[in-house]
Amino acid sequence: MALSRVSQQGIVLGIFAVMFVAFVVFLPGFFTTANMLTLLQNVSVLGILGLAMAIVVIGRGIDISLIAVLAVPPGLVLQMVQDGSSLPAALSVALLLAVAFGVFNGWLIAYAEVPALFTTLASGLFLAGFGQAALFSLDVVQWSPGMQGFEWLGQGRLLGVPLPIIVFALACLLVAFLLRSTRPGAYIYAVGDNPNTARVTGIPTRPIIVLQYVLAALIGCFAGLVMASSVNSMPTRIFNSTMIYDVILVVVLGGIGLSGGRGGVLNVVIGTLLIGTMLNGMTIMDVSYSGQNLVKGVVLLIAVIADSFVNPRNEETAQQGDI
Amino acid sequence: MTDNVLEFRKATKLYSGVPAIDSVDFQLRRGEIHALVGENGAGKSTLTKAMAGVVTLTSGTMLVDGKEVAPKTPLEARHLGIGMVFQENSLVPTMTVAQNLFLGQEKFYNRLRGIYIAAQQFLQSLNFDVTPTATVGMLGAAQKQMVEIARAVLHQAKVIIFDEPTATLTPEEKKYFFDLVRDLQKRGVSIVFISHALEEALALADRITVLRDSKHVVTDDARNFDRDRIVQAMVGRDLSNTLYGKRKTTVRPAGERMLTIQNLKLAPMVKNNSLSVFAGQITGVFGLVGAGRTETFKIAAGVLKRDFFHGGEILLRGEPVRYRVPAPAVKDGIAYITEDRKVEGFFETMSIARNVYLGLLAKFPRGRFLLSRREAQSSGESWIKQLNVRAISTKAKVVELSGGNQQKVVIAKSLAQDPSVVIFDEPTRGVDVGAIVEIHELINRLADEGRAVVVISSYLPEILALSDRILVSRQGKVVEEFSSLDATEEKIMYAAIH
Repeated sequence: MALSRVSQQGIVLGIFAVMFVAFVVFLPGFFTTANMLTLLQNVSVLGILGLAMAIVVIGRGIDISLIAVLAVPPGLVLQMVQDGSSLPAALSVALLLAVAFGVFNGWLIAYAEVPALFTTLASGLFLAGFGQAALFSLDVVQWSPGMQGFEWLGQGRLLGVPLPIIVFALACLLVAFLLRSTRPGAYIYAVGDNPNTARVTGIPTRPIIVLQYVLAALIGCFAGLVMASSVNSMPTRIFNSTMIYDVILVVVLGGIGLSGGRGGVLNVVIGTLLIGTMLNGMTIMDVSYSGQNLVKGVVLLIAVIADSFVNPRNEETAQQGDI
Repeated sequence: MTDNVLEFRKATKLYSGVPAIDSVDFQLRRGEIHALVGENGAGKSTLTKAMAGVVTLTSGTMLVDGKEVAPKTPLEARHLGIGMVFQENSLVPTMTVAQNLFLGQEKFYNRLRGIYIAAQQFLQSLNFDVTPTATVGMLGAAQKQMVEIARAVLHQAKVIIFDEPTATLTPEEKKYFFDLVRDLQKRGVSIVFISHALEEALALADRITVLRDSKHVVTDDARNFDRDRIVQAMVGRDLSNTLYGKRKTTVRPAGERMLTIQNLKLAPMVKNNSLSVFAGQITGVFGLVGAGRTETFKIAAGVLKRDFFHGGEILLRGEPVRYRVPAPAVKDGIAYITEDRKVEGFFETMSIARNVYLGLLAKFPRGRFLLSRREAQSSGESWIKQLNVRAISTKAKVVELSGGNQQKVVIAKSLAQDPSVVIFDEPTRGVDVGAIVEIHELINRLADEGRAVVVISSYLPEILALSDRILVSRQGKVVEEFSSLDATEEKIMYAAIH
């Protein structure tokens, strides 16, 4: 079993390498510095979201509401600044909203024991609907003069590298540190590996589950800020897109088992690079939007099937809310 | 035609090399009521499961009406006319009684009204007072059992097997159940039932078979038995040449009263249970299935979910405590070492060292945020050495270890927390003989160090070999206490059965 798991990561890395080399050889204009930077910049928001999803999936949960938290709190920042609030005030309100949302999700899942899939499905719908109905005047919240300077987060460059790439790298380091070197990180793996054992051992399982969803909401909100500042607006209808599937694709493809307790930041990076290369290559080849969806769908299916072969679940590890 | 409707010859079933039943001969006569008695783990359940096609024999033969058969699934057994009523209901709770009765026999187009009428007539013919349109989940235990019996009769079973049929019934329901069984007997059905209640076996059965340690001990007419003879047959081991041969000659004196449980209630498993556990000695807790031992200590350690505070008091060092989750109990020095290590014992994808370190982290060092790689490595190594865990390295995954070594990891994870009260629940279940000796030595060492040790076990020799003080639990409460100096297997078993 240990062998086969190594080989799954190996398979994904192999696919990535083959695809990358093929694109370098056959696609003119793929392997240029400019295109490489574009590729990374395009997937950095997806990668940051992947980190949020990874934390939750390692803890044996799932968070479908990530896109809502990507859209609504950052949208609120733009809206409040447009309406005359100061930027720091708007940011604090948005962060508070994200934390409150994470606590709400976590409480429902850990204490009320509602399966994570249904909780986050419903709460995501609620948050997105609440934003569109009560907070935003238009579907696309526009940049306003009060936001001056903030677009640096999405459009700036440091030593020639676009800032979203640097932000993604920093987020990776931070999450890796949290998961590998801190006590909450060790507890998240423990809860994901076996929640019953974690409980009997004396690990505060329910607060750890709440923490997972708060972290996911905060990281999701942060990804939203990066996204908004790179396009100078927040298209809140993004909640209705298929972006959440891309996030799951990144995590599962990278090799983080949906049964919990396995994988880490490296897997998110591998998944993100593979998806980034695939999407970039298809864009250069001018594959249509629906064609791209078809390819993504097939790849996700293969990844999920491979996951259930490599990380098999049995009656002991399967549980309510497990997907 | 033989006189025996069902017969086993030299039936053996091995589970990973360990026999659950060993060369057992068994005959069931046509139209008799046959009781199977024995300790937990004596092989009663395995024998009945072999009859019902739930498990297949490793060797030996099974005969139905004198013909050799080997049912591989419950369905094949049902076609042979053997039906089993399980301890855990095998009914679908959201369906109606009638739907459950005809489950698996539906025609392609199934008119509900048709099966309701058929079910009504059938239940009336059995004189069962159950409404066919009622949802099974809403029925009481006795009525569910009636539905199960009715289903077995409907499948034209000539042998019906009951596993602990009366465990969940009230006294009136039991009486009704006895009448049902006698009525089935009049219809020519042969009955096998497992029971821990010897009075029931004596009152109801025509013949009684006693099993012990996977072997057949005796089969005889019920009128030739009395309570004493059954108890003798259940426990009459010769232990002089075994691991458990040495009897204690001294007992450790009781130290401080660490844990006191007073009038603890949790329906239906724990009823007004009271007991005390002292520092510096081993308190053995013996009881049969359903005696409420595990539940009582799980409540004390906060492990039981959904403890709705039914009543009673728990004192730790004289201070009242009530834990809703295990975390505060662990911090206060109570360690519960589970009987089911796969479900709640270890982290299977993690290394031995990580398992131990997580135990350490959960109690010490308070407020620390960062992990220490060095501490993880050293604590893992030291516990592997202390408990003599045999693995390639500290990095080996727990899931790759043998049962005995896994159990040692579970114990190490708890002992890393330096507990003052250690509760072992079936500490040597599924553990090889060598590891049993080591685990017993360890348990003795813990008591010598002055910790309060509780050993819950269903295996009498283990209780006698380890305990300084023996508590016997029966039907949800502790009913007897012995010093291990004057306890014998007979005395303990006599107190444990009802």
